[in-house]
Amino acid sequence: MKAVFIVFNQTNTERVEYMFDRLGIRGFTWWENVQGRGTETGEPRQGTHTWPEMNSAALTVIPDEKVDTLLEKVQKLDDIHKEVGVRAFVWDIIKTA
Amino acid sequence: MSIYKSAVNNPITTLMIFTAVIVMGIYSLVQIPIDLYPEIDAPFMSVMTTYAGANAADIETNITKPVEDAMNSVDKLKEVSSISYDNLSVVFLEFEWEANLDEIMNDVRTMLDGVYSNMPEGVDRPVVFKFSTSMMPILFFAITANESYPGLEKIIDEKIVTPLNRVDGIGSIFTVGSPGRKIYVNIDPRQLDAYNITLEQIGSIIGAENLNMPSGNVKMGKTDYQLRVQGEFTESDQLKKLVVGNSGGKPIYLKDVAEVNDTIKDKTMDERINSEVGMRMLVMKQSGANTVSIARDVNKQLKKLVKTLPPDIQIEPIMDTSDFIRGSIKNLSQTLMWALLFVVIVVLVFLGRWRATFIIALTIPISLIVSFIYLYISGSSLNVISLSSLSIAIGMVVDDAIVVLENITKHIERGSTPREAAIYATNEVWLAVIITTLVIVAVFFPLTLVGGLTGVMFKQLGWIVTITVSTSTLAAISLTPMLASKLLRLRPKKENIAKFGYNNIIGKALDKVDDFYEKSIRWALFHKKVVMLLALFVFIGSIFLAVKFVKTDYMPMTDESSLNAAIELETGLRVEETAKIARRIEGIIEERYPEITLISASSGADDEGSFSSMFSATGSNRINIMARLVSIEERSRSVFEIADDFRDQLDQFAEIVNYNVSTSGGMGGGDNTVDVEIYGYDFDVTNKLANDIKLRVSNINGARDVMISREKEKPELQVVLDREKLALHGLTSATVSAYIRNRVSGLIASQYREEGDEYDIILRLKEYYRNSITDLEAISIMTPMGNKIKLKELGEVKEYWSPPNIEHKRRQRIVTVSAKPVGVSLGELASQIRTEIEDIETPPEVFISVGGAYEDQVEGFLDLSLLLVLSLVLVFIVMASQFESFAMPFVIMFSIPFAFTGVILALFITNTTLSLIAGLGAVLLVGIVVKNGIVLVDYINLMRDRGYELYEAIALSGHSRLRPVLMTAFTTILAMVPLALSTGEGSEIWTPMGITVIGGLVFSTIVTMIIVPVMYAVFARRGERDKKQKVRKRFVFMDQ
Repeated sequence: MKAVFIVFNQTNTERVEYMFDRLGIRGFTWWENVQGRGTETGEPRQGTHTWPEMNSAALTVIPDEKVDTLLEKVQKLDDIHKEVGVRAFVWDIIKTA
Repeated sequence: MSIYKSAVNNPITTLMIFTAVIVMGIYSLVQIPIDLYPEIDAPFMSVMTTYAGANAADIETNITKPVEDAMNSVDKLKEVSSISYDNLSVVFLEFEWEANLDEIMNDVRTMLDGVYSNMPEGVDRPVVFKFSTSMMPILFFAITANESYPGLEKIIDEKIVTPLNRVDGIGSIFTVGSPGRKIYVNIDPRQLDAYNITLEQIGSIIGAENLNMPSGNVKMGKTDYQLRVQGEFTESDQLKKLVVGNSGGKPIYLKDVAEVNDTIKDKTMDERINSEVGMRMLVMKQSGANTVSIARDVNKQLKKLVKTLPPDIQIEPIMDTSDFIRGSIKNLSQTLMWALLFVVIVVLVFLGRWRATFIIALTIPISLIVSFIYLYISGSSLNVISLSSLSIAIGMVVDDAIVVLENITKHIERGSTPREAAIYATNEVWLAVIITTLVIVAVFFPLTLVGGLTGVMFKQLGWIVTITVSTSTLAAISLTPMLASKLLRLRPKKENIAKFGYNNIIGKALDKVDDFYEKSIRWALFHKKVVMLLALFVFIGSIFLAVKFVKTDYMPMTDESSLNAAIELETGLRVEETAKIARRIEGIIEERYPEITLISASSGADDEGSFSSMFSATGSNRINIMARLVSIEERSRSVFEIADDFRDQLDQFAEIVNYNVSTSGGMGGGDNTVDVEIYGYDFDVTNKLANDIKLRVSNINGARDVMISREKEKPELQVVLDREKLALHGLTSATVSAYIRNRVSGLIASQYREEGDEYDIILRLKEYYRNSITDLEAISIMTPMGNKIKLKELGEVKEYWSPPNIEHKRRQRIVTVSAKPVGVSLGELASQIRTEIEDIETPPEVFISVGGAYEDQVEGFLDLSLLLVLSLVLVFIVMASQFESFAMPFVIMFSIPFAFTGVILALFITNTTLSLIAGLGAVLLVGIVVKNGIVLVDYINLMRDRGYELYEAIALSGHSRLRPVLMTAFTTILAMVPLALSTGEGSEIWTPMGITVIGGLVFSTIVTMIIVPVMYAVFARRGERDKKQKVRKRFVFMDQ
């Protein structure tokens, strides 16, 4: 099992939801309106007058074999327009209850 | 959930809500009455008091003064003036415009009750009149006839007036100058003396004979009969055979001592329409009724009714206010359509997308329609002011939608789905959109608070713009995102750009402009001092230009295709002589002015001292001419040119003492005059001064229609009775004066009835026996003892000059010398007159001041300056809160002086005077100009926060914001162009506003784009510049 943390520009909300549905990912945790800033080029998302845009984030725990497909789709989503932005990070799950 | 998210997620609901608004708006539009101006409850009242037998001076001391003193304590009184005539006192009261007239009416009545008890006996109870716009006639007809002339009054009354009164919304219909039928019994006094009967005896016999009397019931058999004595005359001829006395056992018939004439009234007034005999008919509407629809109904009815008239009777309209209204409304509707077209073109050029243009253009009708709902609910009418307000608003309502749509487009181009782009893009800008709207509201809302006449005019403008702009903002953050989410598509980037496509031509051109502007800013930023000095120089130059060349004016004059002239001839002239002059003047009009289609001239007075004399002076020596011109499109000369030429013609008449040619048909535009007011008690002193001033003012270039308000002294015959002789014969002044009156003016003995109408039977001496002083002295008076003595025995008849009517203003005697500016501005004429009369020596008890429309002008401009200050403060408040800064509003407000520079230049180039309307345009500019600055400064702030270096941030912001600024400026400017260029009916009122706004906006937009960035750089120097250093100091722990 792996945990995948996806942070994305709010304008990608529907696409991320659809992506989960298509890939059969049922379980996830979702945060709306989160702030953040990209490591290299990503603009700040602060919901302020200066940086009006905001991010949302989703954390999903999926079987190992699904991780690559998900990352591949995330990459394609990012390719639509680099400035909008979506990122995914993967952790190992050691235990579940 | 936010409004834009709900709107996007529920497109049908959103669409339905806006459809509902449109449906309600259209319903309101159908219901709203159409009128020229908003209904104005004019705060004027007049108190009329009659005191029979008193001359003007008596009236002044006994009636007018106490009334004026009492009125002085009524609340909200602005000014009191009065005229004391013989027998009649009229006190005019002017209140503050915002006063509640019902309350005041009560106060006035209470006060009058208080003074009435102290007035001399025989004074009639004072009558209070309230003025209202519904008293102004909306239709004026001229009726001419040949053979039917003697019976004209009855025919018109039965066949036209009565049926017309049934038209919905008609207040009243009056006829003027109608040849009323009278039955005159002209008595030969020598016969009377011979038969030893008096005129009064004949009068009472006629009265006693001409009646029907119920005389009880008679029961005969089974029936109950009513008994009547039937004595009424069934024909006027029966009068002749009336027995009026006995002489030697033989009856004396009326025909033996008098002539009975069943004829039309003696001529005191000569009414001609296009030189033919006739009368006039005035139609008044009920207050709040729709002028246009009433006029239409009346004209439709009239067409049917005319067919029932004898063929020689012609009815022609002299004045139809609805024509002007319809013309103005049509003209303004066209202006509105052009404005709409221009706005759409601007949006299309800048965006280059049909769908986006459609979405933005859709906010225009929606915002405008909401104002109809406002008009309907507030009970106002669709008028020149509301329509002009709409065309002012039209360029501003698209601004918000543009900002929202631009951001949505940006998101879509970055690959978002239209739906999400719509929600999140709107989320990013909605606050900014609301704040820029607040700035506009900050300028327009205070207009609704202005008092006075100007306030009445501006109230609708203020409300309509506030409402439409607010609605447009609401639509911009709900309807616009919803439509964008449905209509906009993500377009794949085109590979091959069409050679003549949008991107290749307009797109490239716009890019070039952007680049050029960025370069200019960069240059300016490194030459701040030069730029500022240059700006200062331009501003000071414009102020100099303003002081030197721009003239001030009150309200622009409008060409309403009508011309009125009031002409005064030598006092005491007989109406027959006056009419002769009138014919000559008509001849000149017909010859020189083919543009004039109808002339109605009335000479003399219907009933002197009657109610109508409050509105226009009448008298046997006065001619009133009303002329109608063909519509503006069909003539090359303006009504002003014709009026000016007409004045030159009138100058050549030696018989004419005074004349006043006016070009205003109704209210609103009005006659702008400068009045020199001479306060002083002594008639001789003030008369001399008035004549002196008139002479001097007449010499001023551009001063026309110079008039002295005080009437000339009238020739009068006075009967001076010897009281001792009266007492000897047992007579009093009252009985003798009644005898004289009955013989000269006439005694109404009874009424002759025919077909439901009553005609006076008037007894008097034959004219031959009452047209010289000797004749008057030969009048016989019957003493109580039954003896007859001649008037000569009791006193003498002397020729006098009676004192004129006495005018008061502010409770003092006043004479005004008024002058109308022709070819010069009102302000200019006022200052010239002022210098001209400066060196006139006045006795210490006399006081001279310059007033009139000029006074209103000064007052209006004072109101306007207050408004300007209020707007500036409000705009500052809005901006300071938005930017959380005191400096930023100043940076932006630096563009305001240059808006005024632009206004001055525009006025100078187009040779327009600075009227109140133009001044209003300048005030409105504050909001519109500041909006440009806000967009720019806001973005510079943003770029600074994003970490750009100061100059870089400024230059980049300029590059990025130029298009939105240009776009909103162009929509506002081009929306005003039709208003500024329109030449149709009523356009004179609003063109100055169009000119000022365009001038101010063009100039200030250009200057703003340079000055505001430079000022930003100047203000940002302190602290702002090195933000990093400042922050570092606050977090010292990192460097320790």
